[in-house]
Amino acid sequence: MATTTSRRETLLRLLSPVIGFFAAIVILLVIVVAVGEGPGAAIRAILRITFGNPSRTATVLSQAIPLYIAGVAVAFAFQAGVFNIGVEGQYFVGGFVAALVGIYLKLPPIIHIPLVVIAAMIGGALWAAVPALLKVGRGVHEVITTIMFNSIAIYLMNFLVNRPFNGLEVGESLEPQTKAIAETALFGRLNGFFQALGWKIGDHVYLDYSLIVALMVGVVVWIVIYKLRFGFEVRSIGEAIDVSRYAGMRVKRVQVSAFLISGGIAGLIGLQEIFAIRGFYTYQIAGGLGFDGIAIALIGLNNPLGIVFSALLFSFLRQAGYGLQLYTSVPNSVSYVITGLMIIIIVVTNELVVRYVRNLRKREVA
Amino acid sequence: MPLLRMENITKVFPGVVANDGVSFDLQAGEVHALVGENGAGKTTLMKILYGLYGPDKGGIFINGQETSISGPRNAIDQGIGMVHQHFMLVPVFSVLDNIILGEERESTPKLLQRLYLDKRSLRARIAELMERNHLETDLDRPVRELPVGVQQRVEILKLLFRGAEVLVFDEPTAVLTPQEIEGLSRTFRELTAQGKGIVFISHKLDEVLQVADRITVIRRGKIIETMPREGATKAKIADLMVGKPVLLKVDNPQAEPKEEVLRVEHLTAADDRGAMVLSDLSLAVHAGEIVGIAGVEGNGQTELIRTIAEREKIISGEVYLKGENITSWDVRERREAGIAHIPEDRHRYGLLLSFSLADNMVLGRHHRPPFVGPIGWRKTKAIREFARSTIAAYDIRTPGETTPAHALSGGNQQKVIIAREMSADPILLLASQPTRGVDIGATEFIYKQIVEAKLQGRAVLLVSADLDEILSLSDRVCVMYKGKIVYEVARDQATKEQIGFYMMGAEHGDDNE
Repeated sequence: MATTTSRRETLLRLLSPVIGFFAAIVILLVIVVAVGEGPGAAIRAILRITFGNPSRTATVLSQAIPLYIAGVAVAFAFQAGVFNIGVEGQYFVGGFVAALVGIYLKLPPIIHIPLVVIAAMIGGALWAAVPALLKVGRGVHEVITTIMFNSIAIYLMNFLVNRPFNGLEVGESLEPQTKAIAETALFGRLNGFFQALGWKIGDHVYLDYSLIVALMVGVVVWIVIYKLRFGFEVRSIGEAIDVSRYAGMRVKRVQVSAFLISGGIAGLIGLQEIFAIRGFYTYQIAGGLGFDGIAIALIGLNNPLGIVFSALLFSFLRQAGYGLQLYTSVPNSVSYVITGLMIIIIVVTNELVVRYVRNLRKREVA
Repeated sequence: MPLLRMENITKVFPGVVANDGVSFDLQAGEVHALVGENGAGKTTLMKILYGLYGPDKGGIFINGQETSISGPRNAIDQGIGMVHQHFMLVPVFSVLDNIILGEERESTPKLLQRLYLDKRSLRARIAELMERNHLETDLDRPVRELPVGVQQRVEILKLLFRGAEVLVFDEPTAVLTPQEIEGLSRTFRELTAQGKGIVFISHKLDEVLQVADRITVIRRGKIIETMPREGATKAKIADLMVGKPVLLKVDNPQAEPKEEVLRVEHLTAADDRGAMVLSDLSLAVHAGEIVGIAGVEGNGQTELIRTIAEREKIISGEVYLKGENITSWDVRERREAGIAHIPEDRHRYGLLLSFSLADNMVLGRHHRPPFVGPIGWRKTKAIREFARSTIAAYDIRTPGETTPAHALSGGNQQKVIIAREMSADPILLLASQPTRGVDIGATEFIYKQIVEAKLQGRAVLLVSADLDEILSLSDRVCVMYKGKIVYEVARDQATKEQIGFYMMGAEHGDDNE
């Protein structure tokens, strides 16, 4: 009996993103028709930009990397009942600290690159530390502090890159930036590896070391959350703080740790752009990923495995928007509307599933 | 014809019959008190009346007309209003705004007036209501600045403004000072003189005898008796409330207390608002005995247990476990030292509801072998095996150990907690309201487990609002009143009457004999 219910639950749970996705596509087509395009042309445009050739598919994967890390960062805090809205600021700081290590240290790549990754985590975690300590020490709500710390981070980076760490020679570029990152710290690409496997992707796609970083983050986080005692305490506290306290868990300590780990993971979000794409640091690295991470974590049910799919979905929709813009007269911004709608539909369907299963279970034991 | 009649109401929750064929009526112009212990079914009955639950069986009649009530809004439309124990007021709004909140549109039928709130005419109507009922308040003061008694007046005005004929008061005196209680009973008289009906829920028997015209006692979901105030005595009501000696058979051999396990000394503590909840309380529990704490709820029992189970803010006092001062220890240290705890609110403190039974079963010991290996790796197999054998040993009815805890009935959930706490092999067991909301079968089982704990040489501290439970399990009974132990008696010398008097705050039991 239990197994049928659980199996049905798993099935339904997996179904809700599918339902959300297709419902969003239907709405998209309605908008497309309203704009005066043919639905067929829109679908062709989307498929062409995402699956038109291996490089384009690889681009979806490439763009999903920072989104994935952002999702996992938010999810880790969520699991402990902490709302880390500060992922945004944490990756700006984490990226900066990593860039400093990349610029000013002279080391062989085999040491330099891991060191850069560690520096990014330390930077992100440090930026999360103040809100974390304010939360457990003084009861200041982390949503407020992390939002404030986002602004502080971004303008602090703006200042640091413009003044003390400005690496520009006069006339070189209009974009304020640091000195170039040392060759030994740059993230190489894995394109050759994929090509050798028979995936015919172009050399311009960024499938770089940050993919390995993301994979490692996913695996480690999954193990920590679902296999280790620490993760059990994290989930327990996220579920019911009073029960956890009564069971002898050191709630504050666990929450601070989860907060710092979340910040540490967040620090990694910018690595791809800084170390693989640009080769220097600027406060103008892509913003907003921290907020995307919230939605991605939500859709992925805070599970590192689920977040693989939600990050890919986000990346897919973003590309779809470019496709529409490129090949039809539908504006790119439609993709953001669709993303938003999809989130709402998935969350609602998921909640319905949970309630439905709960009722089933009640009847089962009654 | 009664103003209100509830007939044959039955309401079943998974595993427990909250109301079992309950009939209750209210005449115009009377105060009808509904008394019973917590969990007796008073609240369920009133929630049905207020439309928060639908009854499984039975009907509600207003002025002889059968009706159904779909929710609080619908209840008030039909003239039934409730003053909750925790007020439903917006603290920053003025008294006037609180009273008209939600009614402001209905009171002005014209479309234009719906946009513009005509507070002047509303104010006049409320002023008139205040005068008629002697419920004067300053309409422009924000509610948060008012004393509790006046806030309650605002709640009453709210109901009168909405045309309530039946007013339900859920333990209205719990938060009031003696003077305010006096004022409230005057208000009761004003209201009944106008032909309104009042349902008065309380377990303070003195007040019940003072204000009620009729008294209905409810126990374990059934109406035990409805009687007029004339001829009712405190002793008689108390007797009916706790019922005849439990039908449950508890084989509870004489204790052979051994060494002292728990000692608390001179505990003094205050709540957030600065009111004393524990005052210079000292207590000792020995291995192999059950000490029962009796008392009306809210006299410091919860705080006492919490101070023993976890590091609580206290003003002064010490807690010793086997002679060691544990006052500054945290929950984990205390658990590892051998304290187990069955909390009074199992949903809030006892179970991770969406987690599997297996996870719940190891809670508190989830962090150490055999449930975790090196580097903190959880041993799922060991956890599930342990859960399976415990489920079998404690006869927990569940489809399996992977079923989430919320899917179980109340009795089985409580069994999970007891199984978990007992299997931790504690030296001290704290049991707080262990059978609240639990069916008879599970109750009997839980009693056996508690006695078994004693026979195994554990020290047991039991807190219960159910006097029968205290009397059938305890070897020593302590009565708590206003944060103090006011009476202590050995089981074979304990009488329910004597304990009852101390529970009600009597200084010396002999005065009442």
